[in-house]
Amino acid sequence: MKHSIFLISLILLFAGCEVDQKDIQPENEFIKIYNHPDQQIAYHPAGILELPNGGYLILSGVKVDSSVIEYPHANLIKTSPTGEVEWTRDYDLYAPTPRLFERSGSVGFIAMDLQLNAYAVEINTASGDVAGQHDLGLTNPLYSYVDKQKNLLVLGYDYIARSSWISLFDGSFGLQRSVKVNVNEDLVIQVQKHLNKSGTQFPFFVGEWTEGSQSGYFVNCFYNYTLRTVYFESAGLTMLGNIYSFQTQAAVSSLIQRTGNRYALTRFYSNNNYLLGDVEVDIGTSQNFNDITGQMLPELVHDAKVLSARITVASTPYILFASQTNSNSMVTYQHAADVDSLIATQYHQFNERVEVSDIIQTAEEGVALLGRIYILGKYQRPVLVKLPARTFSP
Amino acid sequence: MQKILAFLFVLLFSTTIMTAQVNPFLENFRVGFGAGVNFSHIMETQSYNLYEDLTGEEYRNTYSSIFQNFGHQYFVQLDYRLMDFLALTLKPGTYTYSFTRLTNIVFQDETVEQANEIRLRYFEIPLEVRYTADLGTFMPYAGGGFTYAHLMGSQEATNQTFIRPKMTLGGAVGTYIDLNYLILDFNVGYHYGLHVITSKANRDDTGSRDSYSQSDIRLNDLSINLSVLFSLQKKSGRGRKVKCKFPQ
Repeated sequence: MKHSIFLISLILLFAGCEVDQKDIQPENEFIKIYNHPDQQIAYHPAGILELPNGGYLILSGVKVDSSVIEYPHANLIKTSPTGEVEWTRDYDLYAPTPRLFERSGSVGFIAMDLQLNAYAVEINTASGDVAGQHDLGLTNPLYSYVDKQKNLLVLGYDYIARSSWISLFDGSFGLQRSVKVNVNEDLVIQVQKHLNKSGTQFPFFVGEWTEGSQSGYFVNCFYNYTLRTVYFESAGLTMLGNIYSFQTQAAVSSLIQRTGNRYALTRFYSNNNYLLGDVEVDIGTSQNFNDITGQMLPELVHDAKVLSARITVASTPYILFASQTNSNSMVTYQHAADVDSLIATQYHQFNERVEVSDIIQTAEEGVALLGRIYILGKYQRPVLVKLPARTFSP
Repeated sequence: MQKILAFLFVLLFSTTIMTAQVNPFLENFRVGFGAGVNFSHIMETQSYNLYEDLTGEEYRNTYSSIFQNFGHQYFVQLDYRLMDFLALTLKPGTYTYSFTRLTNIVFQDETVEQANEIRLRYFEIPLEVRYTADLGTFMPYAGGGFTYAHLMGSQEATNQTFIRPKMTLGGAVGTYIDLNYLILDFNVGYHYGLHVITSKANRDDTGSRDSYSQSDIRLNDLSINLSVLFSLQKKSGRGRKVKCKFPQ
C-alpha cells in the first residue's frame, strides 16, 4: 500500500512539473505570419530589430501590383514582444536596404526616393513617425551596416560611373569616407531589377574584420565585372584584396570571420551551395574558392540566400548560418565559433515556400529569424520565427 | 484492446477460483469492462494565432461545438463497495477525444477557412467515489472523481502541440442494474480539465497543410458509458436477494 502511494505521488509530481510549464515564456518562442488582406501587394522583408523596451520592428519593401511605381515602398511593422502587431506604417521612400539601424537611441532604415537618391530615415518607435531624414549623397542603396563604433556603412551603386559606391557615416550621418570601385560594365539593369524585386536578388552584404592591429570591412558588391567580396581597411576605406567567383552567376553568399585570417563562408557555384567552415583568406590578394567544395548543401534552394551571425549563448560564442531548403524549411546551422565544428542543424518546416531575410540575436540570447512566406503559395508576407536560447544550448 | 481482454480474462479466472472461499474483500469487489462515447468541450484560456492581421483585424479561433466532437473510450472497470451506500470505482483504459479548430484567413476576394482536426488518445485512470441508493434491481448513484491521463504517442504532428499529462475533476450520475449474474453500469459524467493541455514549447504546427498555433486550451468532456460488471462473491441480502452460483 505504501509503495502504491509512493508511486502515485511520484507520477503526479512528474505530471505536475510538465503541467506547470512556467519556465516557458510566450515571448521566448513563437511563430507569426503577418498577413494583409490585399491580394495585390507583396511584402519583401528586409530587416528586423529588437527594440530596447521590448518588441520588434520589421522592415519590408511592399510592392503593389497596381502601382505605377516599380519599386517597393518602405513599410514598418511594430510588434509586441510576443509578435502581435502594434502599428504599421508606410513611407514615401522606396527599396529599403536590408537591415534596420539602431545606434545611440536612433532607429531607422535606408531607402531611396524615385530619383534613386539614398536617405537615412530615423523614426519614432512609439508611433512610426519620421523623426529625421538625411540625404546620404549616394544612389541605388543596396545594403547598410552599423559597425562596432556605431558608424553607418552604406553600399550603393553609381549608374553613371558604373561603380559600387561605399560610404561611411558618423553618428550624425556626416560623411566620413566614401569610395567607388569600378565594375567596368554597365550593371544598372541588374541593379534595378534587384531593387524592384523583378530580377535576381544578389547577396550583397557588409561585415567587419580585424587582423592584428588592422581592421576594416568586407563588402560583397559588384567589382571588376563580377560579384566579389572586397576587403577595405577602415582608416581610409582603402581597397585591399578580394574574393571572386564567376561573373554574377556565382558568389560568396555569406562570410564571417572566425579569428585572424580564418573565415567561415557559404557560396553558390554551378547551381550548388557550399559551406566552407574554415578557410584561410589573404585579405591582400585576389583569390577564389571555386575549387574548394567544403560541405555541399544540396538541401538548400538554387543559389540560396544565406545569412550569418555570431551569437552568444550562456557565455559561449557560436556562428550561425540560416537559409531555406527545397522542402520549405528555414534551416539554421550552428557552428562552434573557434573551430570548424557543426554543433546542430535545426529545421523549421512550413507548408509553403519560405525564404530567410534577416537574423538577429535577442536580448534573452534567443534568435529572431525573419523571412518571407508565400501564404497559400501565392501571397508574399513576412514571417517571424522566434527561437528560445535553449534551442542553441548544446 | 487485446491486452485489456487478456488481463480481464486472467483476473476473472483467478478471482473465480478464489471465490470458492468466502472473502470479505471479494464480497464487495466487482470487476468488468465497458465502453462509451464522449463529447469534447474545449475551453480556450489564452488565444494564440499563427497569423497576425496588418490592418488591425483580429484573427479569432473557434472550435467545433460539443456534440460534433465525438470520441470514444474502452476501459476495464473495478468496483469496490466501501459501505452499503458508498462505492469506489476505477476505470483505466484508452480514451480518445476529437475536436476541430477553425480559423479564417481573410483576403479581399477570398476567405480561407482552416480546419485543424485534432484527435488525442489518452491512457486514463479515472477514480470515482459513488454514493448509491439500493432500489432493488436498480441502484442509482451520484458521484465525483479525479482522473489522471497520459497522452499516448502518435505520428500525427498535432500531438506534438500538447503536453502528455492531463488531469480532470468530474461528476457522474448513473445506475447499476443488477441482472443476477452480471451487473450493468450505465453512467453519464462531465469532466473538467484542471489545467491547460497545450505544450507551450511546441504550440506551432507549420508543416501540415493548414498551419496554426495552438492556443492555451482546457479539455473538458461529457461522457456516456456502459459497463458490464461481475460480482466475485455476491453479497447476500442485496438487490434481488439471489445468491450467485459460483463453481465449487
